Amino acid sequence: MSFFLPLAHALVARKDLPIPAWLFAWGASIVLIVSFFALSAAWRKPRLEEERWRPLDERFSRALLGMPLQVLLGAIGVFLLGFSIYAGLSGTEAPDRNFALTFLFVTAWLGFPLFSVIFGDVFRPFNPWRAVGRLIGGAFTLVAGQRPAHLEYPERLGRWPAAVTLLAVVWLEVVYGASGGVAVGLSPDTAGMAALIYSLFTLMMMALFGVEKWCERGEVFSVYFGMFSQLGSFGVKDGRLGRRMPLTASTHWATVPGSAAVVIASIATTSFDGAQEGALQDAIVQTFEWFADAGLSLTTSLRLADTIFMLICFVGVGLVYLIGVRGMGTVRGAPPLSQLRSGFAHTLIPIAFAYLVAHYFSLFVFQEQAQFTYLLSDPLGTATTDLFGTASGGIDFKLLSANAIWYVQVGALVIGHVLGLTLAHDRAVSYWGDYRQAARSQYWMLAVMVAFTCFGLYLLSSGNG
Amino acid sequence: MNSNTTRVVAGIVIVVVAVVLFVVLRDDGESASEKSDQATAPAGSTNTADNTVTKPEITTIVIKNGKPVGGIAELSYNEGEQVRFKVDSDVSDEVHMHGYDIMKDVEAGGSVTFDFPATIEGIFEAELEDRGEQILELTVNP
Repeated sequence: MSFFLPLAHALVARKDLPIPAWLFAWGASIVLIVSFFALSAAWRKPRLEEERWRPLDERFSRALLGMPLQVLLGAIGVFLLGFSIYAGLSGTEAPDRNFALTFLFVTAWLGFPLFSVIFGDVFRPFNPWRAVGRLIGGAFTLVAGQRPAHLEYPERLGRWPAAVTLLAVVWLEVVYGASGGVAVGLSPDTAGMAALIYSLFTLMMMALFGVEKWCERGEVFSVYFGMFSQLGSFGVKDGRLGRRMPLTASTHWATVPGSAAVVIASIATTSFDGAQEGALQDAIVQTFEWFADAGLSLTTSLRLADTIFMLICFVGVGLVYLIGVRGMGTVRGAPPLSQLRSGFAHTLIPIAFAYLVAHYFSLFVFQEQAQFTYLLSDPLGTATTDLFGTASGGIDFKLLSANAIWYVQVGALVIGHVLGLTLAHDRAVSYWGDYRQAARSQYWMLAVMVAFTCFGLYLLSSGNG
Repeated sequence: MNSNTTRVVAGIVIVVVAVVLFVVLRDDGESASEKSDQATAPAGSTNTADNTVTKPEITTIVIKNGKPVGGIAELSYNEGEQVRFKVDSDVSDEVHMHGYDIMKDVEAGGSVTFDFPATIEGIFEAELEDRGEQILELTVNP
């Protein structure tokens, strides 16, 4: 099937082995045990609604949030984006030898979710568009003697622009890039051009609605990485760094409209990437052949078929969640559906993160070796530069055994499941007040979570692209 | 109510644990027999069977017009076994075994043989590098 080469494939030329049947059964059983245990032994008063915020020492805040470091990190962000665009447009067209693809789609796209969970919203200071936007805004204020005026952001839109752009980014990566018949994947040239177009678009939106407003609502990377930072302990409040109980920040994240769409898009796109070479492959091939028979070119047919199935994944994941919400709405004392819909969206964030780890953990570990050896020393892939003396380095595929990868994959899904249940139970106790009704409502969310986790396990067992 | 719930949960836990144990134990038996199957009958085609008394069979991937005849070949080994395959090609290209990073040139009408130990677990592809045409999917199980 040389038609089907998603980006991961084009970069690493190695796929994970499907998890064996016994591990699948074992993982699913643990999920069920944990779920029933959670229902019987859970707490009766909400514990995660309060952040229990404790500021860190003033000196940390001054050093890390002070102007000099912010300017430096912003400059680094702008440099790395600019360099990626340059490498993409003028470097080699071999995807695995060009700095741009690995940096944009592996180091940044997969690295920031990980570091956001551990250290908080680390993307914010590095965000190149925010840095440029603030610089332009500052210059404007200096010249015009007044702060730039912005349009009122239509709050009804909420985070929907970010959700749509999230689908577009992954579409570019795994649908557009899987160009028919040629084992190339996304070309560095296209990635560079896409980054350039996105930069112009983002700066325009920032000019219209204001830098911070657009970062909170529409700038997909800020919203997406920021979502994962809600799970961890570290955050910034009123200009001060501080610690909070893990998970607690996420309980207030989804109050903005469209937030549920962002987390659902994340789960759906990861599922699609995992399923296109396994669970969904036959269906995609059939649709592809149908389009090809209808006279479309091979590339167009493949992209159309992939696009359709990616959207089906989005709608499917969304429907499962909405059914859970509907079900909870039938339990006596339930708040209105609209409140339930946004009120439980954050419980899917741990699941989205677990999906990311399960599907991209090995790709990240292997490809980062390339990032810090030959891609660092020979970023354009011309074989003529050796900046740091590591150009001849390579990827050591023996670093991770198949067993190690399997245990990380299944472990991530199980832990994500437990954290999702924890958040859902806590929210239910807070909404219903009455413990028994809350527990009854949670049969529904339990079904949703078990569905997602077992679907994730199933994807891993049926061949993971 | 509470002690009832606990009892129900305990019951479910026991049932599930029993199921798990059953699946795990049964599967261990299966995979052990699979291994011995593969050890007695090495992966490969039968087209060279008559002259392989001492040498193990070797799979031949035939390339016609720059594409593998019969689609992408699939080979599966356990870690530690010896991977052997031959490429007969009607085009000149470079055969690249990804992951193991072994490259061998092949001339039009010529053939090239790969013979290396399966040391890295995972699923890998071999392709005709210049054409970007995948010819083999190699699976190495732990």
